[in-house]
Amino acid sequence: MNIGKPIQIIFFIILALLISSFLLLIDHVSPIAGIAELISSGFLTHYGLMATLNDTIPLLIVAVAIIIPFVAKFWNIGGQGQYIFGSIFATWIGLELAGSLPVALLITVAIIFAFIGGALWAIPPTLMKIYFGTNEIITTLMMNFIAVYFLDYMTIGPMEGALAKITHVPSSAPIPTPDLLPHIGGVSTGIFLALAIAIIIFLLLRYTNFGYELKLIGSSVDAAKYSGASLRRDLLLSMVLSGGIAGIAGMIQVFGITTVLLPQVFSDITTSFGYVGIPVALVASLNPLITIISAFFFSGILNGAYAMEISFGIPIDLVITIYGLMMFFAVIGVMINLGKIFRRPRAK
Amino acid sequence: MNSLVSILLLLLPTVVLGMVPRAAPIFAAALGEDVDQSAGTLNLGVEGMMLLGTIIGFVIDFETGDFVLAFIVAGLASALLALFHGIATISFKADQVTSGTAIWFIGWGLSGFIYSSLFGKASSPPVVKTIPTLYIPHLTDIPYIGKFLFGQDPVVYALLITFLAVQYFLFHTKAGLNLRTVGEDPLVAEIMGVNPDLYRYLALIFGGFMAGVGGAYITLSLVGSFYFDMTAGMGFIAVALVYFGKWNPVRVLIGSLVFGAVYVLYLALETYFPATPYQFFSMFPYIATMILIILVGAKAHAPAALALPYIKEG
Repeated sequence: MNIGKPIQIIFFIILALLISSFLLLIDHVSPIAGIAELISSGFLTHYGLMATLNDTIPLLIVAVAIIIPFVAKFWNIGGQGQYIFGSIFATWIGLELAGSLPVALLITVAIIFAFIGGALWAIPPTLMKIYFGTNEIITTLMMNFIAVYFLDYMTIGPMEGALAKITHVPSSAPIPTPDLLPHIGGVSTGIFLALAIAIIIFLLLRYTNFGYELKLIGSSVDAAKYSGASLRRDLLLSMVLSGGIAGIAGMIQVFGITTVLLPQVFSDITTSFGYVGIPVALVASLNPLITIISAFFFSGILNGAYAMEISFGIPIDLVITIYGLMMFFAVIGVMINLGKIFRRPRAK
Repeated sequence: MNSLVSILLLLLPTVVLGMVPRAAPIFAAALGEDVDQSAGTLNLGVEGMMLLGTIIGFVIDFETGDFVLAFIVAGLASALLALFHGIATISFKADQVTSGTAIWFIGWGLSGFIYSSLFGKASSPPVVKTIPTLYIPHLTDIPYIGKFLFGQDPVVYALLITFLAVQYFLFHTKAGLNLRTVGEDPLVAEIMGVNPDLYRYLALIFGGFMAGVGGAYITLSLVGSFYFDMTAGMGFIAVALVYFGKWNPVRVLIGSLVFGAVYVLYLALETYFPATPYQFFSMFPYIATMILIILVGAKAHAPAALALPYIKEG
């Protein structure tokens, strides 16, 4: 792995933070104090680090998920909808089977169902691309909005929990089995699953024929066709994997953190991990291992921004702008290639 | 089924009257995107630019009470975002999808950030007076068509004039031909003595301005106040409409009106079918978008150099 890349990523993160810190002046907060609060609360305190690691889990999984079709330049912007559908399927099966299965088996079944839910939501836009040539950016995004309304319907309708009937905050019943995904030192064990997924997808993309073909499609569709790659099969498989893995993130969020299906978690700008996964993946230049670093930093910035909101009243929405700026600098940065500036030129 | 047909007939006047203002913000953004794409730049940041327009337009109108100024400043703010997209994609030849997504996030975050910074978490959201609709004695009073033709708000008429100007510019002027040539083959354009980068920058800035105007229209004409993420995908629907319109503003206009009708229809149907969960009606516009672009599909002929950076040889 090129060591220059992670350094470059950290450079962009810092640059985006510096520029966004000037926005704090709108709220009459000193940029230095704000950034200091963000960094210390997001990365350095025990509680902050714990929260940061917990948010890294879904963020990393979703980001790795969308990397798979992104490598083939198939822009799956629908991570959010797939994440939501995974959570619906997992919660549903969790509520059906809780108590009747041992916890380990229940979790396995829930992971499978989450995968199916996410994959199902990823298939229609892919088929539309394959058979009608529709633009996937638009179709996958439309699927997100449909998923949000469907989740809303489920938690007000068929899956409405007893508490929701009283509070009128839509949510499902809690999954009754305790310790579904136990926490170690305050961090959900889902983190091991997340790391495993990142490593598996890294290996898949680098060392299998499938991964090679995806990259080929991404660089030139014609070249991929000549080399005998099956575009339809590769595209469909990449999207099934992508949607399914994004779905698993939804399952981990419900089983490990919220224990209920809560639409609010999926509509709040800051916890819309299905969307935030996009900049995480892009800033990491679509490398699943580097994504581990970028997911951690994005998550830390999010939790630091929560602290800034509490301490200084800085609206949390700022964090989305920071993500956007990071993407913006990263995409320009790829073109500049900082590595060339820092490395000694090599003779040809 | 019969009752559904009779309800639809009953709703027809409501839909026809209501579709124009509902179509206006999408059309404004789509018209801008049409020009962008004709010059070869895919602008996926429209959603972010519209969102920035919603808040900037709202703030300026709230502070000054001057809606014309509000629309202009909202347009300029979004044009600035478009300029950034241009710097990344035209000057640095960066990936247009990534840069567009970045612009979307920047505008998305800024809209909520600016609103909360200025108005806090007020229990009753601040409101502005929505812009007045035209009233011409006698003409507006003509039954059936009077309100439709002579009872819209001034921005709708301004959009109509802009539409005619864009249509004329793209297909009947030298500069319009140059712009479309840049979108088809920037190298040929350069040989013709046209500066591709300049055309792409100007097209983008126009597109950004129109997206901002579209966003401001939502707060200033449709709603009168600001909500978080209030465009709810309209920017992307605008991009879809450009595909539907096959890069022809006339078809984009028709598509936008269909969309306006879908919006009005689902809002009206909700009240007619209270037993059906409202969420299924809310899905209408998104499902309609997907159906719409299936109808066009791969047959659409995109500008050949769309989303490709122009890199000079040698």
